[in-house]
Amino acid sequence: MSAGLLERPAAPAQTLALRSLAALEARRYARSPLFLIGVSLLVWTTTVATGDLAKNAATADPGDLDLLPAFCLGLLGVFVGHQLTRSLDGADEALGATPSDRVRRTAALCLACLVPGVVALVWVGWMSAALAMWRIPLSASISSGARAAMLLSGAVCAVGGPLFGVLVARWTRFPGSALVAVVVLAGWTLLSTVSLAQPPSRSGTFLHLSAPFTAWVSMDSPRSAAWVAGGSPGWYLAYLVLLCGLAASAALFPGSTGPRRTRVLRVLGSLAVVAVVCLVLAVLPDPARIPL
Amino acid sequence: MNTTASVELTGITKRYRGTTALEGVDLSLRPGITGLLGPNGAGKTTLLRILATVLAPDAGVVRLLGRVPTSAEALAEIRRRLGYLPQEMGFPRGFTGFAFVEYVAVLKEWTARDSRHEEVRRVLDLVDLGDVATRRVRALSGGQRRRVGLAQALLGAPDLLLLDEPTTGVDPEQRVSLRQVLSTAGERSTIVLSTHQTEDVAALCDRVVVLDRGRILFDGSVRDLVGTARGRVWLADAPDPQARASWRTGTGRHRNVGALAPRGSEPTEPTLEDAYLLLLGGRGQTTGVAA
Repeated sequence: MSAGLLERPAAPAQTLALRSLAALEARRYARSPLFLIGVSLLVWTTTVATGDLAKNAATADPGDLDLLPAFCLGLLGVFVGHQLTRSLDGADEALGATPSDRVRRTAALCLACLVPGVVALVWVGWMSAALAMWRIPLSASISSGARAAMLLSGAVCAVGGPLFGVLVARWTRFPGSALVAVVVLAGWTLLSTVSLAQPPSRSGTFLHLSAPFTAWVSMDSPRSAAWVAGGSPGWYLAYLVLLCGLAASAALFPGSTGPRRTRVLRVLGSLAVVAVVCLVLAVLPDPARIPL
Repeated sequence: MNTTASVELTGITKRYRGTTALEGVDLSLRPGITGLLGPNGAGKTTLLRILATVLAPDAGVVRLLGRVPTSAEALAEIRRRLGYLPQEMGFPRGFTGFAFVEYVAVLKEWTARDSRHEEVRRVLDLVDLGDVATRRVRALSGGQRRRVGLAQALLGAPDLLLLDEPTTGVDPEQRVSLRQVLSTAGERSTIVLSTHQTEDVAALCDRVVVLDRGRILFDGSVRDLVGTARGRVWLADAPDPQARASWRTGTGRHRNVGALAPRGSEPTEPTLEDAYLLLLGGRGQTTGVAA
């Protein structure tokens, strides 16, 4: 019945405690059925699409694929992040009596959102290798740095989606809030594409780039010529990274108290200002679209 | 045995939207097992939540394990030495018993994997769940789930163990087994056991606190509380109209509990339940032997 009593652990460093918890949450994330569905979807669509690229290297439009991790891992990730956060609600009272407070638990969940990011980075590596292997140039007027930023944007969205899910789970209590969050995200993205039907302008570029799940390259269409949207992919990437930081900080806000709350507020304010600056910098370059 | 107070409450008051859950509660607890009895809505769960640091009182001073839980550091220090089983506990989908208790162990800062696993196995064995540890919690019976909840509270042999209805849904054999676990733990820890099962309190606790409408109605030893019912419980062939409560026992005779056994009746040894019924029946008059 009884076994020898182990020494209760001494108070570990905050980072060590957070790391252990984050590792556990990362394992939960990696085992989430929705995440596994997203990864399967990403692998399948990438395999099919890169097969087409290999066959039609001269006419293919690889920019279409940039958003795959954003949709397969990011959009589904909203549900995963939300579900992981809310799954322990029933045990919240017992968990609340442990030394790991809500802020630490949320921070661990935010770190676990790097799991889809790692998968997306592997995808970026694979895509880069595939594009180089089949010698598929996007456009001579797009630098390799800008091309890399476009590819990486999708990977950042793969992290941002789950972070948004954690944020929504921490701020809302009503059933179906994850679905509402996805609808809002998808609606924002669709709204941003409205500007692409108009002649290029800075305000149009601003609207286009303000959305986190935005494609740089027009979709393949027999009715219109393909093009790359105006603006700076590099600054847009920085803007997306800052949105991720904003989502994580805002998720940490509920449950934080005293000086910690003040710190979170300061970080939130600073990130918001820098994000706006990055968005403006992303919009500043020539809004003209680059034909492919 | 350590005799310094683990829990010191002074003038604790808590209200929910105009309803008073606790009113000026003073309590000092030392290592040992204290039973917390009271009718529904008496304030037991609110008191346990305050002791578990998951709820702050509106007024009064709380001192737990030598610290006042106001700063984040003090809260973390207290929680490192605290085990808490809430009244209601949901389990996340897909978790096995082992995985859930391990999750709590990580939250309790067992960062080293090997010792954490060893500790999780220890507490699961303590509550006799070692053989079903790899089953999903949602597939377990209500009593087994309750024991998973108890296992997480026992992690790290906490100095202050707060248990809200730990034996709900647990079969008699397991209840006896849990009593053994708790009585051993009570030798070094301060345990507060909130329950409606007076037999658990009688079997385990050296002290009992009865709460009613947010106030302490009785605070003293189980023997003292039982003593208040002496001469007020009697057996008869029919229900006694003078009795406060009367029921037919398995022997066919009626057990009557009332203000005073009538002359010529057959008095019998009172139980804690009898004393509790009488105490609540005479609410308003503080019987506090040791209060």
